[in-house]
Amino acid sequence: MMTPLYKYGFFGEEFSLLVAFVLGLGFGFFLERAGFGSARKLAAQFYLYDMSVFKVMFTAIVTAMLGVTYLGWIGVLDLDLVYLVPTHLGPQIVGGLVLGVGFVVGGYCPGTSVAALATGRIDAMLYALGIFAGTFVYAEVYPAIKGFVNSDPMGQVTLPEVFGLPWGLVVYAVVVIAVVGFWGATKIERWAGSRS
Amino acid sequence: MNLRQFTLNRKLAIVAVALGTLALLAQPHRGPFVRLDARELASVVEAEVDHVTAPELAAWIVEGRADYRLLDLRTAEEHAAYHIPTAENVPLTGLADYPLLRNEKIVLYSEGGIHSAQAWMLLRAQGYEAVYMVLGGLDSWKDEVLFPALPADADASARAQFERAAQVAKFFGGEARAGAEAAASAASAELPKLTAPPPMPGPATPVAKKKKKEGC
Repeated sequence: MMTPLYKYGFFGEEFSLLVAFVLGLGFGFFLERAGFGSARKLAAQFYLYDMSVFKVMFTAIVTAMLGVTYLGWIGVLDLDLVYLVPTHLGPQIVGGLVLGVGFVVGGYCPGTSVAALATGRIDAMLYALGIFAGTFVYAEVYPAIKGFVNSDPMGQVTLPEVFGLPWGLVVYAVVVIAVVGFWGATKIERWAGSRS
Repeated sequence: MNLRQFTLNRKLAIVAVALGTLALLAQPHRGPFVRLDARELASVVEAEVDHVTAPELAAWIVEGRADYRLLDLRTAEEHAAYHIPTAENVPLTGLADYPLLRNEKIVLYSEGGIHSAQAWMLLRAQGYEAVYMVLGGLDSWKDEVLFPALPADADASARAQFERAAQVAKFFGGEARAGAEAAASAASAELPKLTAPPPMPGPATPVAKKKKKEGC
């Protein structure tokens, strides 16, 4: 059997929505269990008291990267068919900064706000309203910023392609960066904790 | 060395580094190389589920079905001169780079049937699951759809069938032949002009490309 299952036609669009729903429930559940249903815990990331966000996200990246690499290597996953969001370097840096500012101010990122909303937090409900308002405003101003949003198109690219490096070398480098990062993050937590 | 001296986090870090180091050798992309299940393909060919007939295809077009991609493998000049309505022109050499989805229904035709059979094999080998050939290619399309002939010794049911075929032929700008006319070779008949082809539903994309949002 080859994956991605949907693109190989093992199931149709309706069933794929069901799969997405189940995966979304799982995603939300584990965000909540990691403590990410709390704006205090999330915002602590930016004050360096608690690097859980960094650790959880980087763990997820390393796990998924190794999984995808090995599944592709043994021939179960057709990497050519995995959907990648097309890269627009400049606009995505700006978008990342906007998201980051919203993250610090609101205490959530989009996914965690929904997980927190599900646990009944009022601040998350307001945050969700903000997401809808932001989406609306974006759609309204889109014609004016269309040129910028679509500038700098690089297509569906990966780091090995951009830097011309072997896939395995990039995987190795990311794992090393993650492990060193975890070690450093723990040091920073202790340092920040001792100052307060 | 006692494993208990490591915390769970350290054990996981060690596993990640080990897998990451081994991944230095990984080649996760399959590139242009393909793997064939010879038995599976042979059984598909033997079961004769690898093709559609020209009248079946004609019925799809008349119904306005849009759940398939019809690919014309002939040259651009031949395609410009005449092609089956809704067909996209893809020369055999361009097939590998042509944007197709693995789960699309792909119907191939060429002049006879040899090129489409070869393209069928290439696509199947690359993991395209629903690939079909027009049996007999464009030759068969001319004989059976554009210029169907009524055999002299036809019975009632064959006659009824011929009446329907004549309607279909008219739809595509062809002409049914009965009796003495049938003896004339369909090949000598002039192909319909493409001045006013039936409305093209455009390339069918059953799986609409959706922007997927990802993030935390």
